[in-house]
Amino acid sequence: MPEGRIVRGYLMPGMPHVMLPRDAASRQELRRACRTAGANALEARPDVLVIFSTQWISVLGHLVQARANPCGLHVDENWYDLGDLPYDFRTDVELARKTIELGTAAGLQVRAVDYEGFPVDTGTLVALDFLNPKNEIPVVCMSCNIYAGREEELALGRAAADAVRALGRRAVAVLSSGLSGHYFTREISDAEDHIASPEDDAHNRAMLDLMAAGKCREAMDRVPDYAAKTGADMQFKGYYWLMGAMEAGRITGKLLGYGSIWGSGAAVVEFSA
Amino acid sequence: MAGKGSIVCGFIAPHPPHLVYGENPPQNIPRSSGGWEVLRWAYDNCRAKIKQLKPDVIVVHTPHWMTLVGHHVSRVPRLKGLSVDPIFPHLFRYRFDTAIDVELADAVYDEARAEGLIARKMTNPNFRLDYGTIVTSHMLNPDWDIPILSLSANNSPYYFSLNVGIEEMYKLGRATRRAIEKTGRRAVLAASNTLSHLHFDREPDPNLPEDMSKEHVFSHANYLWDMRVLGLMRSGRMDELLAVLPEFIERTGAEVKSGGLFWMLAAMGFPKVPARVHGYWSVIATGNAVVEWDLSAAGGDGANADA
Repeated sequence: MPEGRIVRGYLMPGMPHVMLPRDAASRQELRRACRTAGANALEARPDVLVIFSTQWISVLGHLVQARANPCGLHVDENWYDLGDLPYDFRTDVELARKTIELGTAAGLQVRAVDYEGFPVDTGTLVALDFLNPKNEIPVVCMSCNIYAGREEELALGRAAADAVRALGRRAVAVLSSGLSGHYFTREISDAEDHIASPEDDAHNRAMLDLMAAGKCREAMDRVPDYAAKTGADMQFKGYYWLMGAMEAGRITGKLLGYGSIWGSGAAVVEFSA
Repeated sequence: MAGKGSIVCGFIAPHPPHLVYGENPPQNIPRSSGGWEVLRWAYDNCRAKIKQLKPDVIVVHTPHWMTLVGHHVSRVPRLKGLSVDPIFPHLFRYRFDTAIDVELADAVYDEARAEGLIARKMTNPNFRLDYGTIVTSHMLNPDWDIPILSLSANNSPYYFSLNVGIEEMYKLGRATRRAIEKTGRRAVLAASNTLSHLHFDREPDPNLPEDMSKEHVFSHANYLWDMRVLGLMRSGRMDELLAVLPEFIERTGAEVKSGGLFWMLAAMGFPKVPARVHGYWSVIATGNAVVEWDLSAAGGDGANADA
């Protein structure tokens, strides 16, 4: 069995505006960055994509998709007018089950979901659209528990990484999450879109600068303050998961793109050792 | 259809999927050995009442269709599909098929905008109804032979403040009432929410969710709050009820915060008729009550139409 490891990681926005409508001219920097992430991820020749999405919300612990071939049609509850999101992808069921086993051994409540029609969230599908457009790469998807804190998400990330190692997989870890979470509560045109406030913009850039400087652990320590000040997407707790999966002390981020989606902050960051 | 429509009845109609699971209707795939009977029996009374009233439409305000920009109305003539609860998929995998009252949807949209609210019409035929709408609609009318209208919960009470959220819901309530009157509908309203909402963070026994020996309300303090609020409803003390709801929400995490109850009370004109509490029980520790305000005796008019 080859040595398993997570070879690359990505932070990507989960809002559908970066992919729909397909022919839109808006948010080009983010769209280009997502496409670059997709190309680079493919170049890393992963056996599997391991995805944590802040839009897959769970309440009783964490959930892990364990259905071999989730397929269906998703319509976003807010942005249904942008278009439908059909999906048909393969799960690395063995890795999903191993992640559950190791997460449970670490004291987490982690459960498998294996049901026809189980709703796959927008954030996961947006990530797959860029990273796995032909659905050639198996996937493991997991939820974001609304009550979990730093230690739980770090533990879940470590469990995913341990499972990757145990099974000899070559994996790319993906965090589908926004940055600052303040958004426009009125109708806006794409041309009007910008980060909701200069303060949010500054906090986002400071956080991204830390990642790009290889200070990923320091960025992690700043998450509570950052989240409180910017209303960050799910308190930006997904970042803990990514750092748990990739070991914060040994990686550096490379900013591929930054912008706004309906006032909220969005970035594409590539992490590697 | 046009003319002087009216709201004939309003229900607090909580939506834990456990209630459908406990009933074992043919639409739901998982099977149970029962559970939560007291709440299900409470809903039996509502079902009988709705059969008797023969309303044209059931309007549901649901916290599980949370919208960021404005208030959305379902505006597709028919919606059908498989709804799998993202939190309790082992309990709720339900095949739904329902008519939507699109004329009323248009009217609510127009009146909401006239109130100064941002509103949107959801016209995507592939939209999957949320489980809050489905559970509430099923528990009130399992035959699905009455069109429904589903209204989203705007995020304003969480994004801005409770007071901002309440103001929005009062406007949406007035808008809903006018829309019902203008379209000539005889409408039943349903606020799909629990009362106290603190819950277990683990299912006591995932292999036997209907084990009622494990079911209890989260805390005595929450229970007392639920009883206080229900007491005010039962005695028709509307002004006191409205005054205490913000503290109730703060102390118990009540799902009422999502807006449905404020919307319904405003639409009904803040009725001072005593409400009928059909039943109360916990579901994974949350406090759930099925409560009815019968306005049909007064010709469908709320007691205080100047809301």
